[in-house]
Amino acid sequence: MSKNRVSRRQFLSYTLTGVGGFMAAGMLMPMVRFAIDPVLQAKAGGNYIPTPQKVADITEVPTRVDFTFEQQDAWYNSEETGTAWVYKDDKGEIVALSPVCKHLGCVVNWEGDKTKPEHFYCPCHGGLYTKDGTNVPGTPPIAPLDVYPYIEKDGYLHLGKAEPKKGA
Amino acid sequence: MKWISQDIDMYIKSKEYVDTAVLPLFPVSLGDDIKQTAAMSEFISLLSIQLERQFRGRLVMLPGFSYLKSFTEDKLVNDIKLWEKELLSKGFKHVFYLTSDSSWKTIESQFEGGLIWLPSLPLEHMDEQYKNTILDDQVKQLLQLFLQKWQSGE
Ligand code: FES
Repeated sequence: MSKNRVSRRQFLSYTLTGVGGFMAAGMLMPMVRFAIDPVLQAKAGGNYIPTPQKVADITEVPTRVDFTFEQQDAWYNSEETGTAWVYKDDKGEIVALSPVCKHLGCVVNWEGDKTKPEHFYCPCHGGLYTKDGTNVPGTPPIAPLDVYPYIEKDGYLHLGKAEPKKGA
Repeated sequence: MKWISQDIDMYIKSKEYVDTAVLPLFPVSLGDDIKQTAAMSEFISLLSIQLERQFRGRLVMLPGFSYLKSFTEDKLVNDIKLWEKELLSKGFKHVFYLTSDSSWKTIESQFEGGLIWLPSLPLEHMDEQYKNTILDDQVKQLLQLFLQKWQSGE
């Protein structure tokens, strides 16, 4: 019997190591997550967000497509809405433009000014963009509208994160 | 632009483009109409977020003005006039008040700024998607109103 007996000292040291280990893990885990999470998030950011727009229904007239997605502000989740102007160009390729004016960030509208047909119009300071998103010189914006990368999934348009237009 | 330091930096840099200030009005009551005033404030605060998004390059969305429903009309008129005076003297050409509380309609004529009154919608029973569509519609109507005011003021 005395062979298997755990001495008081041993008992204490076992339990303390156990508890200490727990405590250390409790402290370390959030720190590790803290360090790693942004990396994981960056990967998640490459995801495409589904929109209610059927690819087959896209015409050559820019149409407003609204979509919602979960936004992560630091560690806080909220429901956000996004908007894109979507159409098919001459070659039948889909174009999805960000509606955010490159001047000071108002929302532009397709033919928002009746006197400027075939243009995106910014109501704030009269910014104009041609159909492909190129800013019209002489109006305040200094860059073309951002472009959303897109994929088609199950017949629906999915959008990535809007990027500055290439070659601009 | 929102009332946050990042946006205000932008405001300071591009002041000449920002000529409009919007002040949301939030009623508070702890009496019988507590629920009503909460719903009004909720609706106006959601609407102000969408409105700011649409026009962020030309307006500053001020933090809301909260007031007790029990305040007298005189007090409210005086308070708002102080805001108005300050805003107009600091370079804003257009001032708008955004509210769901109809009591402002009777004193509206005493202000230089425009009162935008919208009946509050029962948002509590709507799902997120529907809510956004509704708010978007409202903002679209406001778009016309803002454009008119801006054009007439130029
Ligand atoms: S924000 Fe669009 S033209 Fe100024």
